[in-house]
This record gives sequence, structure tokens and C-alpha cells, in this order.
Amino acid sequence: MPSVVLRQNLMKALQEAGFILLLAVAAGLAVNLIRPDSIPFVQDWSAESRMAEDGGNSLAISLPEAEALFRENKAVFLDARDKALFDEGHIKGAKSLPWYEVDDHFQQVVPGLDRQTPVITYCDGESCNLSHELALFLKNMGFAEARVLVNGWTVWTENNLPIETPDK
Amino acid sequence: MNPSSRFFYHSARIVLGAVFIYASLDKQCNPWAFAQAVYNYQVLPDALINLTALILPWLELILGFCLILERWMMGASSLVAILMTIFMGLIMFNLARGLDINCGCFSTSPEEGPMDKLTLARDGLFLCLALGLAALTLYKKNGYDKNQIDIV
Repeated sequence: MPSVVLRQNLMKALQEAGFILLLAVAAGLAVNLIRPDSIPFVQDWSAESRMAEDGGNSLAISLPEAEALFRENKAVFLDARDKALFDEGHIKGAKSLPWYEVDDHFQQVVPGLDRQTPVITYCDGESCNLSHELALFLKNMGFAEARVLVNGWTVWTENNLPIETPDK
Repeated sequence: MNPSSRFFYHSARIVLGAVFIYASLDKQCNPWAFAQAVYNYQVLPDALINLTALILPWLELILGFCLILERWMMGASSLVAILMTIFMGLIMFNLARGLDINCGCFSTSPEEGPMDKLTLARDGLFLCLALGLAALTLYKKNGYDKNQIDIV
């Protein structure tokens, strides 16, 4: 059973913690109001919103569109996930360009690509941001047709579309 | 407090204080990138992501200074222990889910790389320091020095 002294100490810790929290909330919100690169207090984090470009166009490509480009061999698929995950399985013909090591792999992957060719980036998970970051990076590098297949690996495999795995 | 406890107490508060201040700096400078990192953890509702990204770096900064300056130690050390427990839980949760995401612990840059078991080990060490410091802070202040014995 806690002693009276310990109970008092816990009460004091609670009061101090509350004060520190209040201070952090006030500072965080106030500084955001005056800084030039402020962000909204609340924003829409849905996939559609995250994929929207400044002009209002979406970077996202639908699965049927991506599949059509794949069947016609008109697009290059880039896997933004870690190389180990790529090695476990990836969209057939895709190249590995892990976002976290993009500087290391960019020169190996990109020189062979035509900048007018549609490039479709993908990773895994509805909220995975690697493919989005990679597509924005490629846009900046001049790949005007860079698009994102949201939750790409999952939707591709769920629809039994062609993949490559170590045993296939 | 005996000399070894005193040594641990001061070492832990200075190390954790420096770590918390350092961890807050890049997040303060890049609120948008940190909001992305918070979003990537996929544990908060949309309405809380930006608020967390704005407030958490300030909380870390204030806690860091509290520890270094030895002010409001009961509240600060308790909050640091709670925060480290939450951070550890989140890292374990996301490693178990296999999410390939940036920790966002010290940098919002993708060059920090995805979190891994080393991230877990590092945060585990900080958590041990934080729990020890919080316990010592309450122990030190609860009258031990006045020869009182508390049954907890």
C-alpha cells in the first residue's frame, strides 16, 4: 500500500507533468501560428488527399489502368520497398528502387529509362508513403508520367496479377 | 541516496536530457516531415496527427531542459518514462506488423533509414534509464534521506 509520502509525491508528479504538458501544447500551437512553414492543426490524411499534386491532379493510378499498361508493356514498375522485400516477391518485371536508398540505386536504375515512359511506383499498405515519395522524386527528376499504385503489392497479388518470386 | 545511485541519477538525467533536446530539434525544423512520420506509424486518427507533430517536439524539448536543469524532476522524469514506454511499444508494434517505416526518432529525413532491432535496442536502453531515473526521483524525494521507510 503506498505511503502517504509516496502518494503526495505522485500527486506532485502529476501536477508538474500537467504543467509541462500545458506548456508544450501552448508553445507548439503558438509557434505554428507564426512560423512561415506552418501546417494546419487538422488535415485530411486520406490516400486521395495525400496523392493530390499542387495543381489538383492525382498521382494515384487505378489498378485497371496500371494493369492495362502492364499488359501492353507500356510502363515501368518501380518497387519502392526495401530490397529484401523486393527479393521475396515483386510485380513481374519491376525494378527495385528502395526509397530509403534512392541515392545509391538511382544511377543503376534510371539511366535506361525514357523520361516520357509512364513509371508506376508501388509499395505495400494503404498508408505506405515510400511510393509517393519516390514518385514525387521522379517527377522532380523529369519523369512527367510518374504515378503511384496505392497499396500496390497487396492489390496486385490479391488480383492474382503476374509476380516474380524466388521460386517462380 | 548512496554514491552509485547519485551517479546513476545525474548521469541518466543528463544523458536523457541531451537525447530529448537533440531528438526535438529536427522535428521542430520540419513539422511537415514529422507529421508524415507520425502518420506512417498508423496508430493515430487523422485529427490528431498534425497536433501530435506540433506538440511532441516541444514536449521533448521542455522535458530535455527540465532534466538538464533539474527542474520539475518528478513530473519530467515520470513523463519521460511514460513517453519512452510509448515509443518502445510503438516500435515493437510496427516491427511486429512488418511496416517498413522511418522511426522519426532523431531525424525526419529518409536517410535515417527504416526502424529495425537496433532502434529497439537503443530505445530499450533509454527506457531502462528513464524508468530508473523516475524511480530514483520519487525514491530520493520521498524522505529516504530523512531515514523514513516507506512500504510501497
